[in-house]
Amino acid sequence: MITLSDVSKIYNEGRPNAVTALHAVTLTIARGGVTVFMGPSGSGKTTLLSLVGCMARPSTGRITLDGAPVSGLPERFLTDLRRRHFGFVFQRFNLIRGLTVLDNVMLPAAPLGEDPRAVQARALARLEALGLGPKALMPVEVLSGGETQRAAIARALVNDAPVLIADEPTANLDTALTHRFLDIVAALRDQGKTVLLTSHDPRIIAAAPVSAVVEMRDGQVVEVRS
Amino acid sequence: MNALRRQRALADYTIAALSRRKVKNLALVAVFSLVVFLLASAMFFASALRQEADAALEGAPDLIVQQLSLGRQAMISADLIDDLASIRGVRDVRGRLWGYYYDRVSGANYTVMVPEAGQMPPPGQVIIGEGIARARGLEWQGAPLFLSRKQGDLNRFDVAQTFESDSALLTADLLLMNAADFRAFFSVPEDMFTDLAASVRNPRERATVVDKASRAMPDARFVTRDDIARTYMKLFDWREGMMVALAAVAMLAFAIFAADKASGLSAEEAREIGILKAIGWDTRDVIAMKLWEGGFVSLGAFLLGTTAAYAHVFWAGAPLFAPVLKGWAVIYPAFRLAPGVDLSELVVLLLLTTLPYAAATVVPVWRAASADPDAVMR
Amino acid sequence: MIFRTPILTLLLVSFLALLVALGAAWFGQRLVRHWDLASGSRAQLEMERRTELVSTLFAMVMLAEAVALFLFVFNADRMAALFVGAMCAVGTLNVNGYGFPALYAKIAVFFAAAVWLIVDHVDRLGRDYPLTRVKYALILGIAPLVILAGGLELAYYLNLRTDVITSCCSKLFTPANEGIGNEMAGLAPGLSLWALALAELVVLGLGAYAVRTGRGHALFALAGAVFFAVALTAMVSVISLYVYENPNHHCPFCILQREYFYIGYAFYVPLFGATALALGLGATAPFQRRASLEAVLPPVARRFTLWAMAGFATYGAVTLLVIARSHLILFG
Repeated sequence: MITLSDVSKIYNEGRPNAVTALHAVTLTIARGGVTVFMGPSGSGKTTLLSLVGCMARPSTGRITLDGAPVSGLPERFLTDLRRRHFGFVFQRFNLIRGLTVLDNVMLPAAPLGEDPRAVQARALARLEALGLGPKALMPVEVLSGGETQRAAIARALVNDAPVLIADEPTANLDTALTHRFLDIVAALRDQGKTVLLTSHDPRIIAAAPVSAVVEMRDGQVVEVRS
Repeated sequence: MNALRRQRALADYTIAALSRRKVKNLALVAVFSLVVFLLASAMFFASALRQEADAALEGAPDLIVQQLSLGRQAMISADLIDDLASIRGVRDVRGRLWGYYYDRVSGANYTVMVPEAGQMPPPGQVIIGEGIARARGLEWQGAPLFLSRKQGDLNRFDVAQTFESDSALLTADLLLMNAADFRAFFSVPEDMFTDLAASVRNPRERATVVDKASRAMPDARFVTRDDIARTYMKLFDWREGMMVALAAVAMLAFAIFAADKASGLSAEEAREIGILKAIGWDTRDVIAMKLWEGGFVSLGAFLLGTTAAYAHVFWAGAPLFAPVLKGWAVIYPAFRLAPGVDLSELVVLLLLTTLPYAAATVVPVWRAASADPDAVMR
Repeated sequence: MIFRTPILTLLLVSFLALLVALGAAWFGQRLVRHWDLASGSRAQLEMERRTELVSTLFAMVMLAEAVALFLFVFNADRMAALFVGAMCAVGTLNVNGYGFPALYAKIAVFFAAAVWLIVDHVDRLGRDYPLTRVKYALILGIAPLVILAGGLELAYYLNLRTDVITSCCSKLFTPANEGIGNEMAGLAPGLSLWALALAELVVLGLGAYAVRTGRGHALFALAGAVFFAVALTAMVSVISLYVYENPNHHCPFCILQREYFYIGYAFYVPLFGATALALGLGATAPFQRRASLEAVLPPVARRFTLWAMAGFATYGAVTLLVIARSHLILFG
């Protein structure tokens, strides 16, 4: 379970260009379901996910992960936590160009010092499961949009993170690929993973696997539906 | 094991990353290795000269006695040979005849010597260094060498032999003559020598011998082989130091260039670091990866530059700065230096290549690496 | 001063080390006073980030200092030809009063650097910065040492004059003179060989105990330090005699020369490396029970202990080899 109590986030704090992205948000996210954060752009969805995923620290307020506070943790702890608990799929997927698909998928494991063969086997298994096995050794540039997304998902899962965070995953996908993505999400949910998405895509919100929808506006939670 | 595996994974990534920006990285390595090349050439060249000088000194006498007159070197009387030989520990005292000859034809100075008995050419004949042969255009075997001391005076010598260019640095301008020819040509009286040479078997006795001899011969100056060796070494060290200081300036310029390059990380690289941090890399991991990058670049530059310098100095004869290090001479030997590289030189080169580069890049790299990981999401 | 490339390089390394040490010490005193992992404040976060930079820089110059120690000795040996009376590094170092103090200071910096690097390595194993405060407190101690060593080195090189007649090893390491070098030389060969064998047994035994039980690293470090002293004494009093095959030449530096096939490095590199590892283990021993290190430290400590034992054993093995191959017969 992930809880946020009174969490605010101000970027460029104390400077003239300060922006309040989140405004005293209090929220509980259950483990093992699919939660969608929706709202217009600038409503604070992405900021909320980056705080939950230990990518940034809240300016005020408290975040706990399974009961343990994370907001005040030192840098090393936070990285460690991020590595073990969260896999990220970014809006623009952010694969590293010039490397092969397999290399990209293996990247999150590089700092962990595991046996490279084990990591490679794991990465290949993830790619295989997502239908990218034959493209593993190709450079990421040759992948189509849907394949790029699936490669990014494989990368997010390579360390066996229990929580998958995806920012606007279907913004660049057509209907068929959106459905394919939802199938993957359903499969992940069935494996017991927690999936957190941001989206303003009605197809997603209406989809079957979604267990909760959090609606946001102007940095505040407006409504929570489950 | 984990730490090693982590380093290996980071290094693997670095290699993959480096190979993506081939042109840019190769250009960097090329500029860097040029600097290393200059530095290494200067060091190898100076140390080869030192070795050459050591080799030359191996055959030099342990002790040389010169007559001083008005503070300048003068001819020494043959009578002193016995005085010197009577000192305990001194052996094989002999008078030496040598001098310099300015050749107006080639505009060069020759070193004229009378060798020891075994190598002495017969009267009327000379042995010359290959520099002289080149300067005078004595291309064909048996061409006579004409030397003149003043207007209207011309002496003909037959060239018995030309030196091989093995020890060319020292023999290039050498002209060996028969003792009788030498005395006649330079008008040296029978009982005079240029200086005296002696051997002192036990190196620990040299100081004592010099002490005793200088009391017996107050007007003489004593030069030991160690003195000459030290002078040579200081001279070469100093010249090498100058060259290295110059190359160090180049290194500094390069370090500034590298720091500038690293601080102005391209948008692409900065984004990449952001991605790495976002997917779970720590600041340390990024720094370690960038250190690997710097390590590969400097190692590449070190290997390339050092190899090129080796070829430049030992195969091509250091055409770039031989004039500076050898001194300016009209007769300049075409020769090959004996290859020889000292471990300490390699260590010095490695330190000089890796340290400034690493020091210059680490701060900008850290700055980029400690950016907030959520930057890529915004 | 003599304008010589290795000297310029050594001075460059010392200068960089000095700059970094000063910067690190300045940061270190702030860290030691204000470090508070629980605070999560902006200043603390800033400090956490800055430790990555300072630690990297300091580790870099400490590694360079280790290489510099080798270069310092190697170069001193090479420069012996420049000075009247010098046959090896001893003569060169004796040219003025700063030579040997500079060497000792550099050795001290080497050991301090090694200890620090090991503490740093261990600190990076734990995610709660287990030894960060210790690490920076150490820097506060090391920085003056770096400054001292740099200063002595500079004074030594600036005062190198080739017209000085120096005295070399045959005068320094003789039982006839006074001083520690001569006392070491005057020690009975048999006694120092027995002492070396005993120290070897003790250090290997304690090492084996530490490897098996995962405890006793502090004791191992102590034994390592003792072994270091005993090994150097044995070198001066007896091992050197076997190397030179001469019952009166006690110099611990001539063995670094080409004439003796650089055998000295086969003695000193394992000895210094092993001692450094042992000291580093000793320094981290009190923190083995820290929660964040409990799981990760023991395998690392075990590996380091094994390496250190290998180093100490190598010293003994090379000693035996030299004695076996030597034509000198001291006993029997």
